[in-house]
Amino acid sequence: MDNKKGTDKLLSIYWFVMLTLIAGGVFAMVYVFYGPPYDVREIESEILAERIADCISKQGVINSDFFVDGKFNAAISESFTERCNFNFDVEKGYGDTGEIQYFYEVEFYTLKDTVNPAFSFYDGNNNWKADCFIKKENNKEYAKLAKCKEKRLYALSKEGDQYLIKILSVIGKSEKNVKQ
Amino acid sequence: MKKKGTILVENIVFIILNLLFLSILVLFLMRQGSGAIVLGQTYSKQISMVIDSAKPDMIIKMDMDKGKKLAEKNGLDFNDAVKIEGNTVIVKLSKKGGYSYSFFNNVDVSPYPAKDEKGEYTGMYVFVVREKGVENG
Repeated sequence: MDNKKGTDKLLSIYWFVMLTLIAGGVFAMVYVFYGPPYDVREIESEILAERIADCISKQGVINSDFFVDGKFNAAISESFTERCNFNFDVEKGYGDTGEIQYFYEVEFYTLKDTVNPAFSFYDGNNNWKADCFIKKENNKEYAKLAKCKEKRLYALSKEGDQYLIKILSVIGKSEKNVKQ
Repeated sequence: MKKKGTILVENIVFIILNLLFLSILVLFLMRQGSGAIVLGQTYSKQISMVIDSAKPDMIIKMDMDKGKKLAEKNGLDFNDAVKIEGNTVIVKLSKKGGYSYSFFNNVDVSPYPAKDEKGEYTGMYVFVVREKGVENG
């Protein structure tokens, strides 16, 4: 009888330990799943790239504002953000220095030369661009880097010249999308 | 005979305790997914993404029924759940704080909760997107 009581006590402790382990495991899994914020930067950069593409060309024809006398209009780079209805200066004091969390770059290539752009312009925080070229081998270590999206499209000028357009859109916002 | 009865009672108590334990775990999991912090963050980011994709004169309806139930449970008016200040969406589903996320689309957005014929909230939120600086109407 004494031996049986001893075994029962051991079993109770064993079950208690098991339940504690299971509960601990579940709590840990829930914390890992719900703890970090949802990272929506990839979707956001994709939306930004789509919006830029919409501003550049409609139904495969480049907006006539991009050309003056058959050449690229350099002035468009100054006003493109405003024309597209973008406002990048949205979160005052965001980050340590309150820096802008967006960046985009647009490059036009002729089909004869797809290495050197015939025309290019950019806006936003240029510091984010470097993050796009870092090889992200380990997602956890590189999670705080900005998220980039490169979109390529072909479009014609009104004169019928064909261009390859590369759009690079970048979103910083790591504070709101990655666990610090 | 008396001994067998004791074993049965022990088993029943053990099963009940196990069920209780599992129920608490399931409840905990369900509460985590629908908590004010997680839900507030989800809604504010969803709203920001939708606004970023929107064009002026669009009217967007979003199902926020879970948010409505949570806001009411926490003693908040659903009308105050979503605020848009400048280019920032702020979702508040509990009395403590709220979650904000910004959008880059330079538009004016007016959010309001949809109501039925009886004047009660339906759980849908409406977002009216207008060109910046253009008056209502």
